[in-house]
Amino acid sequence: MMTLNGAPVDATAPGHADTSITKDGFKITTRKLPILKAGPIEDMTKRLGIAPPEMIFGDNFMRIEHKPSGWHIEFNAFDALDRVDKTGDSMLKVSYSKEWQQNRQKQFEDIKEVVKPFDWSYSTDYKGSTPDTPALQPTETPIPLALLKRPDPIHFFDDVMLYEDELADNGIAMYSCKIRVMPARLLLLGRFFMRLDDVLFRIRDTRVFVEFATGEVIREYTAREEKYETVRKTLAGTREDVLSIMRDPNRLAEFIPVVEKSSDRVVLK
Amino acid sequence: MSIGGSDLDRAITQLRACRPIPENQVRELCYKARELLIEEGNVVGVDAPVTICGDIHGQFHDLMELFRVGGDVPDTNYLFMGDFVDRGFYSLESFLLLLCLKVRYPDRITLIRGNHESRQITTVYGFYDECLRKYGSANVWRYCCEVFDYLALGALVTGAATTLDPTDGPIADNVNCELPDSEMDIEIETLNANGEIMFRYARNGDSQSSAASQANSNPASSSPIGPTPSRSGAAGTGATSSANGSTRNDTGAILCVHGGLSPLIDSIDKIRLLDRKQEVPHEGAMCDLLWSDPDEIDGWGLSPRGAGFLFGADIVKCFNYKNDLSLIARAHQLVMEGFKEMFDSTIVTVWSAPNYCYRCGNVAAILELGEDGSNAGYQRRSNGDRGGGGGGWILGSNAGPNGTNDENRRLSSVLGESMQKPRDGPGRRYRVFEAAPQDSRGMPAKKPVADYFL
Repeated sequence: MMTLNGAPVDATAPGHADTSITKDGFKITTRKLPILKAGPIEDMTKRLGIAPPEMIFGDNFMRIEHKPSGWHIEFNAFDALDRVDKTGDSMLKVSYSKEWQQNRQKQFEDIKEVVKPFDWSYSTDYKGSTPDTPALQPTETPIPLALLKRPDPIHFFDDVMLYEDELADNGIAMYSCKIRVMPARLLLLGRFFMRLDDVLFRIRDTRVFVEFATGEVIREYTAREEKYETVRKTLAGTREDVLSIMRDPNRLAEFIPVVEKSSDRVVLK
Repeated sequence: MSIGGSDLDRAITQLRACRPIPENQVRELCYKARELLIEEGNVVGVDAPVTICGDIHGQFHDLMELFRVGGDVPDTNYLFMGDFVDRGFYSLESFLLLLCLKVRYPDRITLIRGNHESRQITTVYGFYDECLRKYGSANVWRYCCEVFDYLALGALVTGAATTLDPTDGPIADNVNCELPDSEMDIEIETLNANGEIMFRYARNGDSQSSAASQANSNPASSSPIGPTPSRSGAAGTGATSSANGSTRNDTGAILCVHGGLSPLIDSIDKIRLLDRKQEVPHEGAMCDLLWSDPDEIDGWGLSPRGAGFLFGADIVKCFNYKNDLSLIARAHQLVMEGFKEMFDSTIVTVWSAPNYCYRCGNVAAILELGEDGSNAGYQRRSNGDRGGGGGGWILGSNAGPNGTNDENRRLSSVLGESMQKPRDGPGRRYRVFEAAPQDSRGMPAKKPVADYFL
């Protein structure tokens, strides 16, 4: 069995600085710090061109580096948010928007301007930040789930939040990352989860699998989306606690159909 | 069993230990609270001194920390600007304790309504589930929701001093410069949880030798209560080079609401006329007061979410002028530094839930307003209280909602230069604090649990 090359397993308490572990040339690093302060938020707002989410963990990241080849993949809040639609073309509306606006526009004809429109649900198709070379190539090879279902010891585990927004109490949008490192392989899950109450669910998962011995990296992206009411109706027939499931993307995934899927792969030397 | 006198004190003791009280006591308490709240107007009059607090969100142990830092009830007067419940694990204990204190010391504590004090929102964001879990039925949730409907929509603080009595306390570690002379008129002071001075700002600007601007150059100032880097003022204050606090004249009243202003409301009297005893509606002035946010825009704007208003500096300044206010205090938005002054210190966001949702790592703040002992700093001008005074077109607007904006424009153009000189802000002491130590919440620090996720 391999030794722990670096941080002890329990060095992942909230608010830690970098922790890392190295396995066969793959260095895995995570950072968990508080949300950004006003100054850095202003900087980020300028650089992004949109207002960041209410809870912005701008210092956090999760990174897998392969030193010998110079390849890496990193998940961080800025890059994830940079892929949010900044135009307002794909803007969602809260459930009671129509009712609200009908009444409003009669009263206040001169308040029409929508302030800084953008996709405030912070929906992103972010799959992690990678270098141009060596590049991942499209593949049909699936992540070998059987190998990941084995109860191998977990040498390193962490979950890191990148951002979260309560959508002004209309639901939730969050991007979170989890990683588990076993003796021979690792799995990283980057997940965007969004529930707009009475409107829509979205789950967009990026899974990164690394087999240390062969240097094989497989990345799978799976986007799920369904109307809120459809999911609610399905759940109503299951005798489950509907509200608690609606907060739990792990449970929700089976009730929300896949709308997009892609895979790519690289073998690092 | 009725709740009163010693029973009430016993309930307070039990709740302070974070133990829920029996359902029949909750029913009785809520009944008493309603009787009390129904007598309050939509806008409660509050005399300084008072300590103003923002969102609590069921973070019971942090509420205890707030009382430790700010002083206990009834020694300190408190005004809580709503959002007592949801998100945190102890909404029930937090809200019931505040309610018990309200019933026990009605003149010492003021509770106003936040957007989370609503049936619809609590069903989704935790309070309903918590009641169900702790009592096995939704009865307690129902009793509490009935109380929510009676909570006031705002508060008007009068008699606040323009300047602070400087705290005679030690200077915080990361402050390595001279503070303004305590002989000067101190407008803003920021203290940490130990009562140490982090920042002090004298009125009229020049003498600001803030701790913050010095500490900015210190890259090691990553302390969660450290000042914001790269700003010339203290964290959260509007005391930057462009907004040197405010200039001295007498201070007006301070309006406290959970969210912000409404285009339907151009005077405080209009708030008084609302029928508040209902579930928070999805539209209308009552909804706006609990939901809207200030933003760096001109005039009014629509939130990109498709519901809700945003309002700019001109709206705040105009409203304050018309209503003889020196400051609007509101909550509703998470701010990393615990408080954030905007628009030349005409509005401040106060946030009192440290390490929000047990993971944000933010600090919290409370705002202390002192009493004007000399009675020289505060000159009463009618702000519409008790419906008096308020002559002329400034207060007695007879324009309907459609006229609001036209009137604002007219006001701006008529007032011209004088609009640039808002009334003096009250002396403001912010006490900044961190989350209660983990061991006081009776549960282990949350570590990620390794799981075989796929």
